[in-house]
Order: sequence, then C-alpha cells, then structure tokens
Amino acid sequence: MLQTRNLTRAFGGRTVVDSVDIDVRPGRVTGFVGANGAGKTTTMRMILGVLSPTSGEVLWDGEPMTSAVRRRIGYMPEERGLYPRMPVIDQLVFLARLYGASAQQGRERAEELLGHFDLADRQSDLLDSLSLGNQQRLQIAAALIHRPDALVLDEPFSGLDPVAVDQMTDLLRREAGDKPLLFSSHQLDLVERLCDDLVILSAGRVVAAGTVEALRSRGPERFRVVLDEPDAAWLRDVRGIDVLDVDGSTALLDLDGAIASDLLATITARSKVTEFARVQQPLSDIYREVAA
Amino acid sequence: MNVPVWRIVAEREITTRIRQKSFLIGVAAMVVGVIAVIVLTSMFGDKPSHYKVATTTQEAQAVVEQASDVVGSTDEDSDVTARRADSESSAEQMVTDGKADVALLPTDDGYRIVGDREVDGDLAAALTTAVQASALQANAEEQQVDLAALHSGSEVRTDLLDPNADNAGARKALAFVMVLLFYMTAIIFGMTIAQSVVQEKESRIVEILAAAVPIRALLWGKVVGNSILAFGQIALVVLTGLVALKITDVGGLGAVAASSLAWFVLFFVLGFVAMAGVWAIAGSLASRQEDLQSTTMPGNLLLLAPYMIAITAGEGVKTVVSMLPITSAMVMPARLAEGDVPWWQLGVAVGSNVLAIIVTVWIGARVYERTLMRTERRLKLTEALRGPADRAVA
Repeated sequence: MLQTRNLTRAFGGRTVVDSVDIDVRPGRVTGFVGANGAGKTTTMRMILGVLSPTSGEVLWDGEPMTSAVRRRIGYMPEERGLYPRMPVIDQLVFLARLYGASAQQGRERAEELLGHFDLADRQSDLLDSLSLGNQQRLQIAAALIHRPDALVLDEPFSGLDPVAVDQMTDLLRREAGDKPLLFSSHQLDLVERLCDDLVILSAGRVVAAGTVEALRSRGPERFRVVLDEPDAAWLRDVRGIDVLDVDGSTALLDLDGAIASDLLATITARSKVTEFARVQQPLSDIYREVAA
Repeated sequence: MNVPVWRIVAEREITTRIRQKSFLIGVAAMVVGVIAVIVLTSMFGDKPSHYKVATTTQEAQAVVEQASDVVGSTDEDSDVTARRADSESSAEQMVTDGKADVALLPTDDGYRIVGDREVDGDLAAALTTAVQASALQANAEEQQVDLAALHSGSEVRTDLLDPNADNAGARKALAFVMVLLFYMTAIIFGMTIAQSVVQEKESRIVEILAAAVPIRALLWGKVVGNSILAFGQIALVVLTGLVALKITDVGGLGAVAASSLAWFVLFFVLGFVAMAGVWAIAGSLASRQEDLQSTTMPGNLLLLAPYMIAITAGEGVKTVVSMLPITSAMVMPARLAEGDVPWWQLGVAVGSNVLAIIVTVWIGARVYERTLMRTERRLKLTEALRGPADRAVA
C-alpha cells in the first residue's frame, strides 16, 4: 500500500500541498482529481522523491519510503519527456537498464510493450518522428518498462483519442493487477469508468476521499419513482419525503430520513409502481459540490 | 550483477554521440587537418636546394664547385652545379628562361651575380665566399704567401648551450598545435556536456531520470562519457600526428614529439575533467539551449585566457600559469615541447589539477542536484548554491 501522511509542500511561503493523506490500496485503481493548480502534480512529485516535502511523509506498506522502493514505482510525469533524437527502442532499453535490468531483459520487455501499443514497426524511429499520440503511448511504455510494483501516472490520458484510451485502460488494468495505481485526470467520465477509489483535491487539501460508491452515496438518498398512472403529482402530499421534481408519471424524491421500503409500501398502497430506483449522483456533481 | 548507473549513462552519451554524422565529420576533419599541416610543412619546409649557376669561364666553373662545398657544409643534400654558356648574353638568357638560378659573370675586379628578379640569399653568400676564397688563394700564390699561416688562429666554431636549439622553430610550432588542439577539443566536448545536461532539462526526461536514479550518478555518467570521447579523439589525432611526423620527419621532431605528446595527453585528461564540473554547472543553470550562450561564458573565458597566455605571454608569466589548474593543461605541454621543465613544476601542475577536479566536480554536483528540476527559467549561480535542495536526498 502506498500512502502519504500530512504531506505538505510550500514554495516561498505559499502552501501548495497542505497536509495531504492519500491511501492507494493494492489492486485498486485510485483516481486523483482536482482543478488546475490544486496540487496534484506537486503531490505526485513528492511521492516519487523528485521534490522533497516541506513536511509529512510518504509510506510504503506502513514504512517510510526508501529510494530502493521508489525505484520500483512506474512514473509518468505531467511534463512528458524522453530523448527527442533517440530511437524508440533505445530509449526504453536505456530506462530499463537504469532501473537495473540487463540490456537483453530491457529489449524483450520493450518489444512486448511496443507490440501492445502497435508500435512494433516503429522501434528504430526517432521519438520526434512519432505522432503526439504515439509519443504519449511510448511515455506510458516508459513508465511500465521495469514491471513496477506501483504506478503513479500524472494525466495519462490527456491527448489520447478514444481508441487509444481504451487500449491504455486495458493495459493499465492488466499491468496494475494487484498493485496500487494512482492516476490523475481531468476527464471525470474516464475516472468514473476506471476508478475504484477517488481522492479529490482542492487548493492543496483533500476535500473528499473514499471508494467511488461511498462518495456517490454521500449525498442525500434520492429515488426515482415511475407510477402506472399519468400524474404523479399527488406524491407531494406524502409526508416524510421531499419531492424535487414531477414530470408526468415520474417523480424525483429525496428521502429526507425516511426508510425506502416504508416509502415504497406507502406508495404501492395507492398506486401501481413500475419503477423505484436509487439515483446515483454523477461524479461531476460530487466534484462540483466538494471542489467549489 | 547490476551495471552501475553512471556507466549506463556514460554509454548512452558515447553511443548517441558517435552515431551523429556531425561528430564523425568533425573527428575526420581534425585528423585530416593534422596530416595536412605536417605534410605541407614537410613539403615547404627545409627542402634540400639544388642551385644551377650559368658560367662563361673555366674559373667561374671552379668557383661554383667551391660554392657547392659551402652549401653542402650546412645542408649535405644541397648542391650547386655549373651550366656552361657561350657568352654573357646567353648566360643571362638562361637565367631569364629559368634554366639557371643565377649567372656568375667575370668583371674587371671580380665577379657579378646576375639574377632574374631576385637572388637567393644562401646561394649569393655561398658564391661570394667561394669567390673570395679563390681570389685569396690566387693572390696568396701570386704574393708567395702561405695561406694556411695567414689563416692560423682565425678559426671560429659555434657551439649552442641549449641542446634543443637545433629545431627550436619546429618545437614552437608543435607547442602551438598542442595548445590549439586542447582548446578546440575542450570547447567541443565541454559544450557537449552542457548541451546534454540542458537537453534533459528541456525535454523533461530529467524528471523520470531523477525518480529512477541518484542525480549524482547522472552527472558522473556524463562527465565520464564525454571525457572518454574527448580523450579518444585527442588520442586519435595525436597518434595520427606521430605517425605522420615519423614518416615525414619534419624538423627532426619524431623523438621530441613522442615524450611531449605523452605529457600533453596526461594534462589533457586532467584539464578536461577539471573543466567538466564547470560545463555541468553551465548546463544546469540553463533551461533552454539558447541560455547556454550566456551560462557557458565563464567556461569559455577560462579556456580562452590560458590560450592567449600560451601564445603570447613571456617566460615568467608562462612559468606561473603552467602550474595553475586548467591553464596548465595548455601552457605546460607547450613549455615541455619547447624545452625542459623542472620536475617540481610538473608535480605542482599535476597536483593543482587534481585538487581542481575535486573542487569543481563537488560544486558541479551540488549545483546540478539543486537546479536540475527547475526547468522554468535560467538561474543564477548564487541562487543555485544557496537555495534549499529541491530533491529529497535519498
């Protein structure tokens, strides 16, 4: 498990990351969401030891992170970077060797990753002859080259077309396996699709964290009721609930403390019910609520 | 069995560089340049001269034969031969046509030397000596004087105390070439270090590298990789030069060159590594390639100053700077090529360089660690030294 405790970073008196606690659990994909300048990149840099924290610490399995463990993290920085005038395969082999692999192991792994991204026939090309999308794929390959024990990816999906996003999510799911994976993104629909856990950062502070389901059900319990009669307006008279909206036979209710099964009994006593369902709050709503 | 990080970095520096066409062309140009300089010197240098003199009389012919001995006494391969002409006008015609260098024509009280546009100084001197000697001989016989007795006690021999004096000119030239070689190679590979550092900052790969390996290992790799390249290039050029000198034997430099070139290579390595820290600092203070022009200025000056000193300064100044770090890399080999240097001065020069290596690499590593992650703008040296370490020291 990868954790941060009270992680804080100030730049010249301005606190950019403020007492951040994050738990990235093994086998869980953790989304890291926040507005521009919320402190996501700074936090990730501190996790990787590229930037030293003003205070607080980074833990691995409960112990302070050592440089040996850090090297076992796959990292994709926000500011992408590889050698522009170096052949694709050579870059990957070079990085693999820096992480301690032999040239042979590095080459095999690089070929495997390039194959997955349909870049096998481009391996001798220079990086700057690749399209931006392909450079992005290579950047992910660079983060995965040493079969890391954990993944920290800063905006891995930015700049990718939908097909590439699918390819990438497949690969990440497979590669992450039972390892902790933390990634930041602006694309909330993607985060919703991919993540098990979520951390929302606002102005350097964690404003919400937990499993996606838990966060979604954090708000008031809302139900959608569809009656087998043309007008559901009479529901407004039922005591103990708050009717938010009525549209013909459909109504949106806020339970306001009432118990769902009791309510359903009350309604079925008067009318046939064709649908009675819990409304999941979209992530974007939660995000707007907490980050506002 | 992990390969140390600095070695992997050094390998990358070397392989990327030797794959560049521009690098290979540069090396080839240097090798060709050295060969060209040596071959041209041997072609236009002290070639044996074969003078031809047009004469009209038997006596003049005898004088020319004596002149040939005079010329042969300074350069045994040179000689003077007589060409017989029927008349003064045909002798002059031979000179005009280039069939003879000069004509030696009798006058009432001796001879005149007739040239076309100019008269070669050595030839004129030899002919004059021969004419005077033969006239003296003839006069002495006429007056019944013993010429040997007349000459006795007038023998003057010249001895030179400096054993290296015989090829002083060639040694000076060798010294100059070595200074120039160091200057060019140190600048080329120094800039490569600076560029390699700033390229990693500019392309932001430095963030991945910093997360993966200790930053100092990156610096060491770059210094080692580029030092090997620079050393390789210098060794190649020096070997080429030695072989070319052996074959042409310009100014009898073959033996002199070998020992002073060995010193040159040693001082090259010391001076180059001592400069490496300075180049790494220049690279890490810059955030884009364009910044390098201003951040490499101190490094350039540090090389240009001894370069100027090596070429222009007097003995005293040279002796002092030949013992200072970095400057010694240029001035000391030049002094060694020109003459002998006391052993203690060599010791001081080597020691001061080793000390400088320790200091510059230490400062270089400190600045490098503190600035590598600051990619947003160009930094000042004081900022880099004073600021807190950005990176967690692992």
